[in-house]
Amino acid sequence: MNAPQNVFQGKGCAPGEFLGDAVVSNQPFGFWQGIDPQTGVVIDKRHDLCGASLKGKVFVFPYGRGSTGTPGIFLEAVRNGCAPAAIVNVKSEPMIVMCALLAEAFFQVQIPIVDGLPSDPCQLLKTGDRVRISGTTGEVEILTDRAT
Amino acid sequence: MRLTDEEQGILNGAFGEPERIALGVLTKLGDAYGAEDMVKIASAHIVGSSYQIAGEAGIEIYGKLVAQGAKVKVRTTSDPGSIDFARWREFKTSPDYAERQIKIADLLRQMGVIPTWTCTPYTTFNVPKFGEDLGWSESSAVVFANSVIGARTNRLAAYVDVCAALVGRVPRFGLHLPECRRGEILFELSSDLGANFEDHFFPVLGYFVGQRTGDRIPVIRGVRHATFDQLKAFGAAAAASGSVALYHMVGITPEARTVDEAFGAQPPAERIAVDRRQIAVTMEQMSTGQSGAVDVVGVGCPHASIDQFARYATLLQGKRVHAGVELWICANTTVEAMARRMGYVDELERAGAKLMVGTCHNDCPLDAWAFRHLVTDSGKFAYYTPTTVGSGCTFASTEACIEAAVTGHVHRQ
Repeated sequence: MNAPQNVFQGKGCAPGEFLGDAVVSNQPFGFWQGIDPQTGVVIDKRHDLCGASLKGKVFVFPYGRGSTGTPGIFLEAVRNGCAPAAIVNVKSEPMIVMCALLAEAFFQVQIPIVDGLPSDPCQLLKTGDRVRISGTTGEVEILTDRAT
Repeated sequence: MRLTDEEQGILNGAFGEPERIALGVLTKLGDAYGAEDMVKIASAHIVGSSYQIAGEAGIEIYGKLVAQGAKVKVRTTSDPGSIDFARWREFKTSPDYAERQIKIADLLRQMGVIPTWTCTPYTTFNVPKFGEDLGWSESSAVVFANSVIGARTNRLAAYVDVCAALVGRVPRFGLHLPECRRGEILFELSSDLGANFEDHFFPVLGYFVGQRTGDRIPVIRGVRHATFDQLKAFGAAAAASGSVALYHMVGITPEARTVDEAFGAQPPAERIAVDRRQIAVTMEQMSTGQSGAVDVVGVGCPHASIDQFARYATLLQGKRVHAGVELWICANTTVEAMARRMGYVDELERAGAKLMVGTCHNDCPLDAWAFRHLVTDSGKFAYYTPTTVGSGCTFASTEACIEAAVTGHVHRQ
């Protein structure tokens, strides 16, 4: 096997393909009361990404936290074109997977989600990394050159 | 997933577009979590009934579904809305905002949703039976239905609950499976806590358990007696501070007559002793406000029962709410009607309290009030208030809440 070291196999939780920049946090995240759906900016003052924009990004965080109202805020962001474009979790809880399935069903927007990578994606990936993600095959590829 | 011929037909669009979309979402959810098949549900309860949650996206989604002729297939009740439909002007809600909520109400009515506007549907028109499968959202209602009644539901998300209602089914995984309902972590109450617990002990214990449990299933040993309202308050706090969807209280809840039954005869993976100090520290953490002036008091989260109305009326007897303080009692229309018949509403309103029906401090936009300090007896309010009401918060017993409303001051206990 000589698969390149920058390709990692996880589990696809919601289908779709995306290529873009990563925003990474080690803290769990709740979209309800966590993001401004008009802008995609994090508004949770307790969170280390407060003030950062998730719009069109590959959002990498350990797991989702929170209310059953989560898709309300998430779909409002999708409708405004301000939601993350893809998600990578350590473990995706059903609330976040439901958000992606609903975005596809009601707004025809695919938001690929991958979890279960062989190592912690919050360590593996850095904010600003160029990442290709497939929620269909579960593959995550880092395109940023890490050679030092 | 293994689908029946009828379900395959729904997916192929033979029963209409809303059903096709709904079952599509539910089968993909089932595939993601390894469900083998669908299970029929007895009822649904939907959280996206509030404009604060559903927003314009919700109006668009419900509008499309209604235009396509969507109808719920099982008894379906609504969670609180973002306005008190009768008194929204009194709560300084803008007419434009009220109009958006009324639009959602109209769309849900056209789908056949029963407008209970409550987080406690189990006190009105949606009373599950032991062992029944449900498709519910609203974390405090889910934890009550699973734990206190022994019905079976995962924590559905907004709109997924509507999908479940439209086809009368959910994917069979998680809490629908008996083997996934066993306890995972044991909380043992220490003897220094005594044996008789006051009402406000329960939301504090729930808050503590939620913080330590995350999304696992906690088992609590050492409570000898708990009322309906105490269990309601415990679960709501645990579901807010953690993501607890099911708890077992040994000797109290129906799937936990013994510790062995609660854990399915397996030894607990983790044990946590709960003592007086931890309860005191947790109660401290639940408050962000300082001792001093109070401008709003919130009780009835989850929505107040008739017993709680009786208690508020007794505590306010011969007293008056302090000038400049708002005391809001949150409830549903069913309990409101009975409280009115019992004379409680008159007594409470004469004393200066206000009823907030079909919504609550957390669901209703309160920016116009610019509140600085909320006092509440609810663990759930205490958890969400810093972001929803935008004020400081002091958690206190119901007695201390009413006292704060009367004096205009609170002392951190």
